[in-house]
Amino acid sequence: MEATGSVTSLRSSLASSVHLRRSEAINLVVVIAVVLFAVLALPSMLSLYWIDTATAAVVYAIVALGLGLLVGRVGMISLGQVAVLALGGWVGAKLLFATSLPYPVALVATGLITMVLGTLIGLPALRVSGLYLALVTLMLAGAITVVLVDTNFPNGGKGFLGYNDISTGTPPSIRRPSIASSDPAFFRYSVIVALLMFLLALWHIRGKPGRAWVAIRQSEPAALAAGVNVTVYKMWAFALASFVTGVAGALLGSSSRVLYAYQFPTSQSIVLFAVVLMGGVYTLWGAVIAAALLQILPGAFTLWGVSNDWATILFGVGVLQVLTTAPAGIAHQFPRDAAKLGKLLFGLARRLAPAGGRAP
Amino acid sequence: MPSWSSFQPFIPIGLAAGGVYALSGVGMVVLYRATGVLNLAFGAVGAMGALIAWSMINTWHVPGGIAYATCVLFGGVATLLYGMVFGRLLAARDPLVKAAATLGLALLLLGVMNRLWPAQVTRSISLPTDSSGFNVGSVSVVWTQVIAVGFGIVMTIGTAVFLRVTKIGTAMRALADDREITATLGVPVRRVEAAAWFGSGLLSGAAGLLLADLVTLASDALTFIVIFTLSAALIARLRSLAVTFVASIVIGLVDNLIAPITSITNFRDMTPFVLAVAALLFFARGRQYSFARGGIR
Repeated sequence: MEATGSVTSLRSSLASSVHLRRSEAINLVVVIAVVLFAVLALPSMLSLYWIDTATAAVVYAIVALGLGLLVGRVGMISLGQVAVLALGGWVGAKLLFATSLPYPVALVATGLITMVLGTLIGLPALRVSGLYLALVTLMLAGAITVVLVDTNFPNGGKGFLGYNDISTGTPPSIRRPSIASSDPAFFRYSVIVALLMFLLALWHIRGKPGRAWVAIRQSEPAALAAGVNVTVYKMWAFALASFVTGVAGALLGSSSRVLYAYQFPTSQSIVLFAVVLMGGVYTLWGAVIAAALLQILPGAFTLWGVSNDWATILFGVGVLQVLTTAPAGIAHQFPRDAAKLGKLLFGLARRLAPAGGRAP
Repeated sequence: MPSWSSFQPFIPIGLAAGGVYALSGVGMVVLYRATGVLNLAFGAVGAMGALIAWSMINTWHVPGGIAYATCVLFGGVATLLYGMVFGRLLAARDPLVKAAATLGLALLLLGVMNRLWPAQVTRSISLPTDSSGFNVGSVSVVWTQVIAVGFGIVMTIGTAVFLRVTKIGTAMRALADDREITATLGVPVRRVEAAAWFGSGLLSGAAGLLLADLVTLASDALTFIVIFTLSAALIARLRSLAVTFVASIVIGLVDNLIAPITSITNFRDMTPFVLAVAALLFFARGRQYSFARGGIR
């Protein structure tokens, strides 16, 4: 009896692992296809306007990845991620102007410096309730806007701030890697960097930190009882999110060549939070959808002459819809609804087909 | 360091701002205690009310009094509607989710406001109490500032008494402790919650009107002025009305008294963040760990 039972359980576990492997394989194939398409085919198909918009989308996908990680994996809400992005943009611009570091090294250095700054800022809030973290990061978003309006972004000037008040002519632009100086090439470069950031996040999610985060999300007291150092792993998540957001900030600077304080209003942090929720926080695809909502949709609206305020209204409604009916977001809802619709259409077609056949 | 006389004019301005933050803070804390919802759309609702009042006065030439009343009433009705629909749908969820949902309302209102009242046009509301005032020493004070501080004090004390003395106030305090048990005791939970939503909404309308007069009438600025109130509410740990009041006044005063100090005047609007972080560090002193409830559940 026992032998039969163990054989059955072995078979079912084998089946489930094979099933898992297949879904993973599908995912892998889709990812490779998407990346290859984006790197090889997309730049030649798009106009310069859309290449720039797509580059911004890729950069914001990294930012959304960081926030999605915090919200979906650990259950922490940060309402100041665009402020962290601005911080990364500032550090990146500073490093790229002041040093001649190779571009990838400057990217990683920007990520690390932003990580330290972001974690220091988030630290006081990590030990109190999640609501307080949300509030403090919202205030941070407001505070960073205030500082940036005063300091501006480095544009090759002298001194620590590296800002020159240039009233005439174009300011010197933020450096790009020598292998990716044109817009299409920089788009490809950004896709590769984004891919690396997603892999970094995936590596964490699959490993020990990911398991600790799941435990924390389920129940903090239980995680603590199970020996998970809750504060350290929360800080770890915050640091990882700050790191990828910092890298994104440096990319954003190089992509737009010049950064201005008005590109990072407080409201943008809220909008980012909204699209991340709408995209879905439980899969990494959610970050891609969020970036599309945040950049591609307004890009299309601008082209069609539709006001961007409609996008803001849509995001507001989206947040309410996601939180009340679909906590897993579009990334989860769309395939499920599409499958349901497919089944419905298939059933309808089958029912209609014989009727059509019988008609004279 | 500038002389004392250059600080003086900023005292009434700071006190007035603090008074409005206090009455907003009281509205937010009471709603949070009664329903578990931290309304982050508080500023957006008030801003929309003020913009409606502006349109009534400048486009439709409605008498000021009616327009101002509409502004306050809009705050109450809009907040109540949100509470009746989404407050109920999200009643069983985590406070973090409830607060996040109000951001949806804030974005929705922000989009509508920018659509209907484009930011390129400069608007302002001037209450009739702006035109007269009195002098304290060399500092002139207008009645609107007095009203702002007075209203802040009256609302703080009034709400505290209301919660302690009246039947519905007692029910709100019971709700804050335990919603389920309160319902079991026969308290009409939904009606009490509706009262909290409506009352808090009226305060958001009043705060929006006063801020539109005292600070500015711009949808973005008024929406995010909620940050000042949040800081005060956080320092009060979303609990004490008295601490909310004191913190609001301090934030209003510090923010404005920094204005004449040229070296840091540009950074004065960091005040809420700096004070809130200082408060958090103070709360966390010597504490190993506090359980946080959070996440999208």
